[in-house]
Amino acid sequence: MIIQMKKFGIILVSRPSGKEAWLAFQPVLNEISQDEEIIVDFDDVVVLTPSWADEFLTPLYKRFKDRVKLQNTNNPSVSATLAILAKQ
Amino acid sequence: MQNKLISIGRAAQLLGVSIDTLRRWDLAGRLQSTRSTPRGHRYYLQSDIEQYLQDVDTIARRWAEASQAIEPKPDVYCQTRDVFQGRLEQFQSRLSRITPLTTVSLVTAVAGEIGNNSYDHNLGNWPDIPGIFFSYNIRTRKAVLADRGIGILTTLKRVRPELASAQEALKVAFTETISGRFPEARGNGLKFVKSIIIDNPFTLYFQTGNAYLYLKQYDRDVIVQRAKTSIRGCFATIGFEGLL
Repeated sequence: MIIQMKKFGIILVSRPSGKEAWLAFQPVLNEISQDEEIIVDFDDVVVLTPSWADEFLTPLYKRFKDRVKLQNTNNPSVSATLAILAKQ
Repeated sequence: MQNKLISIGRAAQLLGVSIDTLRRWDLAGRLQSTRSTPRGHRYYLQSDIEQYLQDVDTIARRWAEASQAIEPKPDVYCQTRDVFQGRLEQFQSRLSRITPLTTVSLVTAVAGEIGNNSYDHNLGNWPDIPGIFFSYNIRTRKAVLADRGIGILTTLKRVRPELASAQEALKVAFTETISGRFPEARGNGLKFVKSIIIDNPFTLYFQTGNAYLYLKQYDRDVIVQRAKTSIRGCFATIGFEGLL
């Protein structure tokens, strides 16, 4: 499945909104079949921060591990955020 | 002298904006005029114009340092995160008129991270005024964020009781992954801010307590110094003069 991040907003900065996105998306994630890939698409996202990403991407990775793939990560705030999270 | 009234034309000239802009600002409450009658001509108090012309960071610093707690003016006051998110979106949209999206995204991310940090660490604990002061000046390429919260030392002492000064706490906040909200695994925010500032033509002044740091492009070390005056919460100025 593809998760289009822009559907959560194009300025993704605060922890509460990241957490809210994660919780709201649970019903969809619960329907994913066992070996389906999860593609996270950052197309059209203007701003992403580690605070938001830590509430959404960190638990997503924890749950689905290497089934998570990222695409359209060339926005500088997206790539800077991913670089910081990768150091954790 | 301070309360001399000046015409809208003169005010526009002093501020370097059009009369129409001043009318819009008046309606939006950003810079309010005085009228003799409801339909009369708009006049401005000289003191209001002078204050508007002052650096955004001077006004914010004064607010953050003041012993007496006063709510900031509504156009710069973000009592809750929702208000801050709205203003941040407005900031992003205004920035995108002067600079490419790549830069807009980084400056907005830095401001967003610093501003949200204030709410994350002070929720339920604000000593007097809840929320933050957020203002910017596109003309001078500057954004300022301040809070009257508990400050970084108090926050980090919860997980690092051995921290003895604001200087040590500020250094830790910008160089180590540590969270003042244990047991949550977090604490990347200010490292992220640092990584963006040193890789781009931006500057950052950040103060908490009597400790401050100044970061600019290509800096590798975080040098924390002692400030002349103390701010209980946090005060940050982001400069993007490199985009002029």
